[in-house]
Amino acid sequence: MYLNELKKGQKCTLVKIHASGKLRQKLLDMGFIFGADIEVVREAPLYDPMELRIHNYLISLRRTEAGMLEVEAV
Amino acid sequence: MIKVVLAGQPNCGKSTIFNLVSGIHQHIANYPGVTVDKKIGRFSYHGEKIEMVDLPGTYSFSSYSLEERVAKRFIYEETPDIILNIVDASNLKRNLYLTFQLLEIGIPVVVVLNMMDVATRRGIEIDPEKMQALLGCPVVRASGSKGEGGEGIMQALLETYHVKAQYVPFRMDYENLEPFIQEIHNTIVPKESALNQRWLALKVLENDETIIEKLSVTEAQRAEVEACEARFHSISGKDSAAFFALHRYEAAGLIFHQCANVNKLQGETLSDKVDHFILNRWLAFPILLLIMFLVYKLSIVGGYKLTDYTWPILAAFKNFVIESVPSPDLIYVPLFTDLAIWMVNSANALMNYIPVFFILFAMIAIMEDVGYMPRLAFILDRVFKKFGLHGQSTLPLVLGGAMVGGCAVPGVMSTKGIADERARMATILAVPYMNCLAKVPFYTLILGSFFKEEMGLMMFYISTVTLFVALIVSKLLTSTVLRTKETAPFVMELPPYHLPTFKGVVIKAAQRVWVYIKKVVSIVLAVAVVLFALLQFPGLSETSKEAFELKLIDALSRFDATAQTTAYYESVNSREKVSALLNAYDSYKAKRMLSSSSESAQKVDEVFKQKLEKGFVLLKPGKDAEAKSINTALVQLSNARKEILRSMKNEKIENSFLGMVGRSMEPLTQFAGFDWKINVAFLSSFAARESAVATLGSLYENNKADSMRAEEAMYANSGYTPLHAVAILIFMILTPPCIATMIVVKMQFNSYKWMLFAIFFPIGLGVFFSTFIFSFGTAAGWSGVEAMSYFYAFIVLSALILGLLPQRGHAWTGGFRNRA
Repeated sequence: MYLNELKKGQKCTLVKIHASGKLRQKLLDMGFIFGADIEVVREAPLYDPMELRIHNYLISLRRTEAGMLEVEAV
Repeated sequence: MIKVVLAGQPNCGKSTIFNLVSGIHQHIANYPGVTVDKKIGRFSYHGEKIEMVDLPGTYSFSSYSLEERVAKRFIYEETPDIILNIVDASNLKRNLYLTFQLLEIGIPVVVVLNMMDVATRRGIEIDPEKMQALLGCPVVRASGSKGEGGEGIMQALLETYHVKAQYVPFRMDYENLEPFIQEIHNTIVPKESALNQRWLALKVLENDETIIEKLSVTEAQRAEVEACEARFHSISGKDSAAFFALHRYEAAGLIFHQCANVNKLQGETLSDKVDHFILNRWLAFPILLLIMFLVYKLSIVGGYKLTDYTWPILAAFKNFVIESVPSPDLIYVPLFTDLAIWMVNSANALMNYIPVFFILFAMIAIMEDVGYMPRLAFILDRVFKKFGLHGQSTLPLVLGGAMVGGCAVPGVMSTKGIADERARMATILAVPYMNCLAKVPFYTLILGSFFKEEMGLMMFYISTVTLFVALIVSKLLTSTVLRTKETAPFVMELPPYHLPTFKGVVIKAAQRVWVYIKKVVSIVLAVAVVLFALLQFPGLSETSKEAFELKLIDALSRFDATAQTTAYYESVNSREKVSALLNAYDSYKAKRMLSSSSESAQKVDEVFKQKLEKGFVLLKPGKDAEAKSINTALVQLSNARKEILRSMKNEKIENSFLGMVGRSMEPLTQFAGFDWKINVAFLSSFAARESAVATLGSLYENNKADSMRAEEAMYANSGYTPLHAVAILIFMILTPPCIATMIVVKMQFNSYKWMLFAIFFPIGLGVFFSTFIFSFGTAAGWSGVEAMSYFYAFIVLSALILGLLPQRGHAWTGGFRNRA
């Protein structure tokens, strides 16, 4: 499944990044590496972007970009 | 001199450490060709001269955002002696990821564990000695916000510098990737490079454009790198970028587990609790509005009140200048004097905003330091994304005047932080549409003249239509001229909230105000000179000069008739004496106006008494009846002179080059209902919008001494209908605020081409809409309010339609799961 399908409070681990180029590098640098634990903290008041917890810090990602992250629910 | 470079992640408290160790002897330098600032501080410590450069915060050295390019270029061009890596101790693991990349550069690193107080509060215990041993570099503790750790940092720096020669470059083992690194090292990296060759090899393998360009890697060599990459992929099933990231994160995790102890169970932090409210679905917008309102209230309204206190300083400066330049001989004002007064007026008009700016910049600094900015972007991104903007565009638009009366200069300047290049450019071009503070007097003048009844409704239209215009324009621009610009993903950290330090906020605000003063005021003054020349020349014709001279003689003889009957005639019996007395009278009047208390008024009296001796009684006659009658005549003469000067000025403007331009534009602008006077007012107000009112005011005075207010005079003497007024209003709404804004647009884009676009596109838009509304309105017989309502409805509808249009899935195409 993909990260954008998760609801508030759900947790998952990252399996694969389906992005290329600069976005892929940026995601890697922000800690989106294989096996990283991700928790969906909340959605923005207008449902997009979403707020995630990864490596014990908070990051926001638009749904379109979250849709490129293949995850496994925990 | 020891060259130190300060590196660290955003939000790690780098600036507080910089302020802590460097004092405030620093200046901001714009890195050539890039709009990112780097701060430089020079100071000495125990006899050693130190140059410290604060690089922009970066998460990594491998992805190539603007900040990272600047940071990387600095390191390979300036080769610093030591890298001072600031690490957020409360988020150690994440920060170590960057530390490893810095260590790999091959320059000695000193790690500063900052925010130790926060870490302790969260129950995180860190063993610096162990970390020091594992990383092979000094590790120092600090708490920048509490001012702790400065000494330790400086000592570690000095010690490291003295043993620099013994430094063995740090090396990370990449296991399966090692043979490939070696291969690149041998074939591509030049042997004579001053930088660590292994680092260069890593960068080439990471496909780092900056370094690849720097090493001038050929096409054949690039193919070689790609082949390497492919072979690695087939062996390990991973690509090198992911492998590097994974490896570095694992190493960071290792260090964290060995050196840090988490005692407390990680419950909800204070930041989490605050976020429950700030980012709550229902509370987020009310809170946002409240904060924006507060920023607006404190800076624009409060700052404007402060100008009541700073204005006398500027006025005193003006008086000082007026006194230092040659004084006018009755109606003959020396050109130099005219120019000096014009320049001071232009400068003062801009300097007057400094309190507003200072408060505004301080508020921005507080919001930045607290950590509200990324949250603001998080809340509003969805709305702005639809129009090609970015969540981070909110603040620039608000500062620009989304709520009537902002200033585009700080608005445009605050776009600096927007990561998305395309959205940043769109925001810079959208901000000038907001209603700036200086346009408001103009609106009130026009509304007061033509829409006394419907003022509230019209003001509502004016103040809200601009936001919709800005959204439409940015949508249009991002889907046309800006379409090809780089966009960035919305991958943004929401850092924990931090209390800002007073010193940090003041320094930040002062630096930004200083940038404003330096760049903006200097260029605005240059433009003022040009405008002055355009308004001053070719000047009056001989015949009208004679006419004015006759008027003057008339006024003088009236004064003389009164003076003759008094005992003081001897002191005013020549033209020179009268002129001197008149100048003294005007200067006395101006000084008395500025003195607020009776003591300071007395002081002014004393000064003038000493200067004039016998003449003073004519300025302040008291009970002396004869002196009183001269004084009355003097007031009349002064008024007559002002009147003549005003008419001379009007005639000069009419005959001036700018006046000619205004006239020559009439054939075109008449379709929008503009006559040459409006054209001139618009042209001259480009230096500062306030002068539009002044120019119009002086143009519409009917040269008779009456007590008509500017609004009434305009209504009575212009011959405009409310429809004309609407066309004028629409043009004013759409045109960019002032030359200062355009200068900052130039600064942000670093290109004159874009500055010209930012000037002429809105003007084109303004001409189009005012022509359209005026011509159509005339034909259809619309009233002013009707015309404005139609315009408003059209704009709002267009914005809504554009906002509802389906957009492309996302800015990203390609990848393994291509959904574009």
